Parts: sequence; structure tokens; C-alpha cells
Amino acid sequence: MNEQSRMKRRISAVGFAMWELHLYLDSHPYCADGAKKLAEYQEQYKKLLAEYEEKYGPVNEMSRNTSRWAWVSDPWPWEAEAND
Amino acid sequence: MWVYEKKLQYPVKIKNPNPALAKIIISQYGGPHGEIGASLRYLSQRYSMPYPELRAILTDVGTEELAHLEMVGAIVYQLTRNLTPEEIQKQGFDAYFIDHTTGVYPVAASGAPFSANMFAVTGDTIADLNEDLAAEQKARVTYDNILRFADDPDVREPIKFLREREVVHYQRFGEGLRITTDRLDSKNFYAFNPGFDKVSKTK
Repeated sequence: MNEQSRMKRRISAVGFAMWELHLYLDSHPYCADGAKKLAEYQEQYKKLLAEYEEKYGPVNEMSRNTSRWAWVSDPWPWEAEAND
Repeated sequence: MWVYEKKLQYPVKIKNPNPALAKIIISQYGGPHGEIGASLRYLSQRYSMPYPELRAILTDVGTEELAHLEMVGAIVYQLTRNLTPEEIQKQGFDAYFIDHTTGVYPVAASGAPFSANMFAVTGDTIADLNEDLAAEQKARVTYDNILRFADDPDVREPIKFLREREVVHYQRFGEGLRITTDRLDSKNFYAFNPGFDKVSKTK
């Protein structure tokens, strides 16, 4: 696994933890521990994403710090190459 | 409004094509317990939900189902790459191939195309939430049945992830049902429909 794949895996793992907490907080909106944990992951995610996009191009359509072409170019997520 | 992220929720990287497997896995794309039905069910039911927690759960779970639809689509797509007509025929993918070539179309494993008849929006809070709980279990069963036929770890890992998510969603819907009954008359939960009858409107 190369550096780009490793970074992608980390971003995905942190993003997944965020999503799981977000869903949990839908039914537990007053859980302060859950909210705190989510904020920690969000901070981590922001850093990792900025670092990744600077090197390899956009993950998110709304990213401003990337070129148009990187968004359009392959691989799209359903291609095996996008999932190294 | 939705924003697309150019990645899968969980990686799908399949080395060996297997159209026979694609033919059964496609049921989770467009079959009776599949991801497109799940997404449409939740995103459509949310309008008549009386409590903010329920609207949030349905919006978020309905959104996650779209990410699952994309994963199932990616699995089917990767399982049907670089095939010869002979392989397609030998593995029983020919009936699908005739109409769709290797495009990904929402059908059940049996070949029945996706239909909104596969889910309900009753506008009744308790009925809808019970449908959602059942739907998560039915999707879990379908993934369990797919795992009976899938030997390839490249396929099993993302399918196991999707199966696990059904269990988590079931948990959230169970909490949603509890949130609902906690706000109703414990002597008669069915005295009125909090999604319609004004008396129950809670902020």
C-alpha cells in the first residue's frame, strides 16, 4: 500500500467514525460525550483532508483548493483502482 | 440538498470477475430489500414524521443507503469486467446481459425490475418505523444469504460491512420507536397518529 492509499484509508476511517457518531447523536442529541468525541474526529478529519487534497486532488466536489480537472479525471469511486 | 464525495463509504477492489455472483448481488441494488428501496423509503417517510429526532434519523439513514447503493453498484460493476460472451453465458449472466449488457440496472436477483411497490409510506409514525425495523432485518438476511454463496474475500469484506450497517440502522430505528412511544399515551399507543392528528404535535 502506497502513501496515497494509506492516507485515503485513514481519512475514510476517521470519516466513518464521524458518521457513526453523527447517526448516534440523532437519537441521543443530549449526549455530551458523544458530541465531544465527534468534534475531536472532525478536527482530525479536516487536517487529514486538507493534507490529502493538497497532494492528490479533490475528494469533495466543493473543495476550493483543487483544480477542475482533478475532479473530472479518473478513477471514479466504482473503479477498483480508486480503492487501493 | 446533497453533496457528492468522490469515494466509496468502504473500499471495493475485486480482482476476479464473477458474473454468477453479480447476478445475485444485484438484488441489493434493485431488489425487494435493496438499497435504492431503502433510501427512497426513508427519504420519503421523513416528511410525515412528528419528532425532530425521527426526521434526522430518516434523513441520515436514507442518505447512507445511497452510499450503499453506490457500493453495491461498484461490486456488480467490478464483477462483470472483461468478460467474453462465452463466460457470460456459462455463468448464467446472459439473460441480464441481453437487456443491459454490463450496465448496472436496478433489478432483483430474479430479474424483476425495481418498483416502489417494494416499500410503504403509510404516514403513520408507528407503522412506518416498524416497516423500517423490518426492512433493516430483511436487508441483513439478504446479505447473510449473499455470504452463503460468496467465497471471494474481495467480495465478502464489503458485503460484511453492508450487513453490519443494517444492524446499526436497526438499532437507531429501535431508538426512534422508543422516542415515539415515550411521547405517546402508554395505555394506548394507537389512540392517535402523531404524524397526522394535531393533538400530538410536539416541537
